[in-house]
Amino acid sequence: MLELLNAWFVAPFDYGFMRRAVVGGLALSLAAPPLGVFLVLRGMSLIGDAMAHAILPGVAIGFLLAGFSLPVMSIGGVMFGLMVALLAGAVSKMGGQREDAAMASFFIISLAAGVMLISVGGSSVDLTHVLFGSILAVNSTALALIAGISTLIVVILAVIFRALVVECLDPLFLRGQSRRNGWVHSVFLGLLVLNLTAGFQTLGTLMAVGLMMLPATAARFWSKRLEGLMGIAVVLAMTASTGGLLLSFHLDIPSGPSIILLAGAGYFFSALFGRYHSLAARLRRKTAPLSAETSM
Amino acid sequence: MPLLPDVLVGHQTAGICGTAAFSTLGPGGLGKRVDAMNPRELPPLQLENLHLAQGHRTVLEHVDGDIKPHAITALIGANGAGKSTLIQAIMGELRPVNGKVTCRVPSERRAWLPQQLALDLTFPMSVEELVMTGSWPSHGALKGYCAAHYRKGRDIMARLGISHLAHRPLGELSGGQRQRALIGRTLMQEAELLLLDEPFANVDSDTVDILIRILRQMADDGTTIIVVLHDMDHLQRLADEVLMLNGGHARWMAPAALTQQQAPAQAVPFTLGGHHAGIA
Repeated sequence: MLELLNAWFVAPFDYGFMRRAVVGGLALSLAAPPLGVFLVLRGMSLIGDAMAHAILPGVAIGFLLAGFSLPVMSIGGVMFGLMVALLAGAVSKMGGQREDAAMASFFIISLAAGVMLISVGGSSVDLTHVLFGSILAVNSTALALIAGISTLIVVILAVIFRALVVECLDPLFLRGQSRRNGWVHSVFLGLLVLNLTAGFQTLGTLMAVGLMMLPATAARFWSKRLEGLMGIAVVLAMTASTGGLLLSFHLDIPSGPSIILLAGAGYFFSALFGRYHSLAARLRRKTAPLSAETSM
Repeated sequence: MPLLPDVLVGHQTAGICGTAAFSTLGPGGLGKRVDAMNPRELPPLQLENLHLAQGHRTVLEHVDGDIKPHAITALIGANGAGKSTLIQAIMGELRPVNGKVTCRVPSERRAWLPQQLALDLTFPMSVEELVMTGSWPSHGALKGYCAAHYRKGRDIMARLGISHLAHRPLGELSGGQRQRALIGRTLMQEAELLLLDEPFANVDSDTVDILIRILRQMADDGTTIIVVLHDMDHLQRLADEVLMLNGGHARWMAPAALTQQQAPAQAVPFTLGGHHAGIA
């Protein structure tokens, strides 16, 4: 029994690449889900997806200039992602279009441009690598970058947390206080882009959103409180990234999709058996008597 | 959580949190702001020859007048008459085409309570947390709340009769309970200028009574209140001044002038004669 546990859960980490991969995954799992929780609460769940595509041309340009160098590709990704976010915001202000419509237009253009750039300058293997990542090829430079970005995100999120909460609930209240409070939204979008660039090396640009959104949407079935949502989402993400890595190691399957599919399994489980709004909760729901209500 | 003795609240709070705003906190809630009681002070809000437009469509023209300090001004008019446009201009959300709005209340002391539908009330937040966000503008983003803040929050909830709902999520409240919680936030903010957009819509009559009493107290304590109203009965009970918007123009009148022409209770008469009271 112990041997089996050892073979499954401990032995894989004798390999350096697995240790780096798991640390990178855990760092991402700490930073991404809280951002996802805010996206879900603001009804912007699809913006994460859009931004993930938006960073692709920047990543591609970085790749063409410097090959597989995570810092260069990340800088390109961040710059392009922020540019698309700003452009989308500007277009929606200018034309009276909703921001999501502008974002949808930009992200599909970005995706096409990114795929085109990589195909012109590299091989189809490179394309797969950028789109779907390879967590098993994370080197120490990449790991330091991922850990650094994750730390930065968690710290900034803590600093702007209260402003972000107020902005989600009642943006007019926040803007009413001061003209300058428009920055909260921009900083949030910036964090989103940063997180996606940190995630693309391990999970790929297309999968990086998964670790952000799936734990956040699953957590909605377990908690009604903001702190609860974030805590549960982080735990889910950590479980999924570690479990997904182990599965990928043992079953010889690609790491990115197996992490995301494990998170997806967590989502389905939550939807079926979660505490709130799940199928099981609906079946077992009984109306509480008034006495229970008043004693709360 | 340790409670501070009553007498010490003022100094203690200033010592712990460094916010002077709390120095007037008494056991019953908000104390009177001394600086706000000077009768010769300038009006907190002045409208001068205001011309407002949404896009290319002029909504209001030649709006003049001073909003009286420490009074409740009712803003009335049919749908589309420009009530929300005027409020946007006062809050600085909309640039006037012409004329100007002079607001002497610092922005962190202005509070704006939109219609209920404008808020996302599925957000996972309890009543107490919502009330506490009112202290955010003056308190800053980083500092934690201290005991005196929580005390003040609890006092406010008690005044509004929502203490038993403190830990209830917003999504599970009735319309009236929600409105009380939102008013609690503006009390926490110690607003000096309060704008309310139809605060009594979708609200039970008990809540209306409590809110009217509390708004009146706030005005007596020095808050200048502007409220969009539709119901004549609420207007009679609450308003000191009336600003009626009709056909792109604004007209000041006394609430009594509206009663004399008392139409059916819910309809606001728009054909008033010339005997409205102008404000100097």
